[in-house]
Amino acid sequence: MDQKRIRNFSIIAHIDHGKSTLADRLLERTSTIDSRDMKSQILDSLDLERERGITIKLVPVKMLYTAADGEEYILNLIDTPGHVDFGYEVSRSLAACEGALLVVDATQGVEAQTLANAYMAVDQGLEIIPVINKIDLPSSRPDYVIREIEEVVGLDCEDIILASAKEGKGIDEILERIISKIPPPSGDPEAPLQAMIFDTEYDNYKGVICYIRVMNGTLRPGQNVQFTATGRVFPVEEVGVFRPGFTPCAQLTPGEVGYMVSNIKTIADAHVGDTITDNACPAPPLPGYRKVKPVVFCGFYPMDRDEYPQLRDALEKLVLNDSAISFEPETSVALGFGFRCGFLGLLHMDISKERLRREFGVELVATAPNVIYEIVTKKGEVIEAHRPSDFPELGDIDEVREPVIKLTLFVPADYVGKVMKLCQDKRGVYQSMDYLAPDRVRLIYELPLAEFIIDFHDKLKSQTRGYASLDYEYKELKAADLVRVDVLVSGEAADAFSFICHRDAAYHRGQAVVRKLKELIPSQLFEVPIQASIGKKVIVRSNVKALRKDVIAKCYGGDISRKRKLLDKQKEGKKRMKQIGKVSIPQEAFLAFLQVEEDEDK
Amino acid sequence: MFPSPPSGPFSVYIHLPFCLRKCPYCSFFSLPLKEEGRDRYIALIEGEMAAWKGTFAGGWADTVYFGGGTPSLLTPPQWKRLFDSLEGALPLGGTPEITVEANPESLTREHLSLWRERGVTRVSLGVQSFSDAELLWLERPHDGRRAEEALASIAEEGLSPSADLIFGLGGQTLRSWKYSLDRALSLGAEHLSLYQLSLERGSRWYSRPPEGRPDGYPFYRFAQWLLPRKGFAQYEIASFSLPGRQSRHNRAYWTNKPVLALGAGAWGYWGGRRCRNEDTLTGYERAVREKGRACMEWLELSEDEGAREAAVLYLRTAEGIPFGEFSSRYGGEILREILSILRELVPENCLEWRRESVALTPRGMRVGNSIWSLLI
Repeated sequence: MDQKRIRNFSIIAHIDHGKSTLADRLLERTSTIDSRDMKSQILDSLDLERERGITIKLVPVKMLYTAADGEEYILNLIDTPGHVDFGYEVSRSLAACEGALLVVDATQGVEAQTLANAYMAVDQGLEIIPVINKIDLPSSRPDYVIREIEEVVGLDCEDIILASAKEGKGIDEILERIISKIPPPSGDPEAPLQAMIFDTEYDNYKGVICYIRVMNGTLRPGQNVQFTATGRVFPVEEVGVFRPGFTPCAQLTPGEVGYMVSNIKTIADAHVGDTITDNACPAPPLPGYRKVKPVVFCGFYPMDRDEYPQLRDALEKLVLNDSAISFEPETSVALGFGFRCGFLGLLHMDISKERLRREFGVELVATAPNVIYEIVTKKGEVIEAHRPSDFPELGDIDEVREPVIKLTLFVPADYVGKVMKLCQDKRGVYQSMDYLAPDRVRLIYELPLAEFIIDFHDKLKSQTRGYASLDYEYKELKAADLVRVDVLVSGEAADAFSFICHRDAAYHRGQAVVRKLKELIPSQLFEVPIQASIGKKVIVRSNVKALRKDVIAKCYGGDISRKRKLLDKQKEGKKRMKQIGKVSIPQEAFLAFLQVEEDEDK
Repeated sequence: MFPSPPSGPFSVYIHLPFCLRKCPYCSFFSLPLKEEGRDRYIALIEGEMAAWKGTFAGGWADTVYFGGGTPSLLTPPQWKRLFDSLEGALPLGGTPEITVEANPESLTREHLSLWRERGVTRVSLGVQSFSDAELLWLERPHDGRRAEEALASIAEEGLSPSADLIFGLGGQTLRSWKYSLDRALSLGAEHLSLYQLSLERGSRWYSRPPEGRPDGYPFYRFAQWLLPRKGFAQYEIASFSLPGRQSRHNRAYWTNKPVLALGAGAWGYWGGRRCRNEDTLTGYERAVREKGRACMEWLELSEDEGAREAAVLYLRTAEGIPFGEFSSRYGGEILREILSILRELVPENCLEWRRESVALTPRGMRVGNSIWSLLI
């Protein structure tokens, strides 16, 4: 196929703005999917994606389209996730495209996330085709949305397409516009091979499958290719395209999007973002894109302690398909052996937990998410602290730095006050506020990531009835007055309960922890003092009163064996508790501090 | 199969499992038996006694305890027959302590005078409360007035009265508890068993607990304050008595002395092992008819378990663990281990350390279970 008749594009849209439905219509219109096989959200293959109506993993598909000029074109759609956590996936798919459809809901207008992704596309030099979707809805306001796209995004909307993916309106126009406006890929089929890996997937039979976009040269089975990041060489066994399933073909030429199988057994050999070249005449690597780094961490522990090996296997397999997850073994007093896992955000964490459960059958306990701190000691050393116990003694700390995000919020004007209050409560620093329209405001705050991941999204949703949208990007590490609050039970430090927080919040959070522990630790023979302290300074204290009385019972002949059994039971119960000094602390106390609150309305 | 009998004193427990009806908190073996059923049961007890007869090489019964059930449901002629058989089969000591349990609704003057004639020394009356409302709540078949008459009649007959009282009852107040204690004392009780309503497995209330049970702490605390001022010493977790009126029989349990068990479901301690009789009427009947003796299981504890259990039992009593006796019976090493646990893990104000023993203080008795669970 003539390179001139290839178009590579992706779709940028906010959740619920109709991206998946639009993709379904494009597949139908180009007869890529037989109408008998058509189901909605066809590209979202994970059950989770269908249930939640979101796209998590990018999925490419090749379509053949005969345009009004009578020529047949190849259209490669590289579908992208819409959620803020998956921004890196977006940047990857954009790198494989020359253009993008910017889909905006005619009733909602531009959302924070859409804006961020649109800018990312503009920055990468992509041609952008704005589309207003859902014009069939009675509440649609196309004129208003057009003005917003022009003013907020800064795109020319003179010949914007008005569409209704649901009713099939505007689909032909979109296809024609893709042909006329998005440039064909450049690249020389005779030049040395350069192909970029934009995603990987693991298959039990074929090994690692690399999703690639060929920039220069030609890729064929039988060729020996080199991965420039590792220098390792593999023979190509199969190449193919997405129709939308894996469909083998003879070769991939410049501009084409497809996959490659070459018997790679470990994901470490195929980095997303790496360049594949011909081992016989290696070419320089393509400019890579930003490597993603997990920013949110939590512990995953098997519900049943014996299932540790199963959890490890499941995590290893999950990482084969999602290279953004990191994990390393960790132990906890309360939960036993498990893993400390790193994610790109809360949704990513939640999705991963759910995938482990569904796809691998592992029931697990997730601890509350946290971030990584950087500590500069008095000696000038820089330490990475993953958990409170990594913090040095108070006197040895010169400075603590925490990750800070730039948070962009699109808020209906009525809710601005509430949202500003929320940001301030979360230690946000105001940056700017501007009116996108008389009733829509863009707020920008700098906010500690640690505060953001606790419950910011939920609070924002409930305080704005779901009318606010947000986007964030990781900004920098910033010094803050953070302290480790230790919890002492009967004078002994109980590591599992210590936490990091801002000094101003230490008293309140310390009080909450002490109060909770007081509820959860049963009365013992001794009075049990519970204290929260910063360094040596105790900031909160309370006591679990000594046990006053057990049940007083008679004990004659027959009762002795029965009494003994009761005492044995009492003792067994105690064995399951963790001893800190003389104090027995029940498992529930630890769980109460570790576990993520289950959120039903996700 | 049966260990050799003791050469010194031993105790005898005879279980009489009849009740008018089963109380909702009771988990003991009991039967709502008719008149002829009782005769048949007495015949089985006689059969069991006959099987033991003649095997007590030099040993003698120092205490006998008729427990239930409701032993006072047996008629005076039945009692007469029971005593005749007992005296014929078992060697009794010179001044045996003989106790009968009785309930107010079925205790009569005839019972008492017969018992006195046949050597009974104590009567333990299941009063539970003198408050009508509390007795109704407990579903007992007697009222406060009947309990008063019954208790008074025991002293009038010249027998030593003991009363059982329960705390932690629905609607019970400290005032009503004090009333029950005062009534018991003024009607001549010389011994009190005070315990908390607990819903044990096998009772009707176990799975469907009644509402409104108050915390037992203030009731027990109050009794521990009041009774010593009335001359009653607390000599065990749930037992208070005037001087010289302690139950020798119960002490035998707490100090692991030999106890011969007779009757369906009765527990004994014989030859250093705990044993239990067949606990269904048909099983008991078959065993007695076929073998004479009715022991169903012997509980074998390891030396270590036996010693720990003994320590727990000793700690029920005000005398506590006697170092000399304990180490000669169970060894010095386990004694040292037990004492070090007590020293390290139990608050000082819960223990009274003496030269030759250690015992729980009143405070320690209140948290006995928690202390014992450290030792088991």
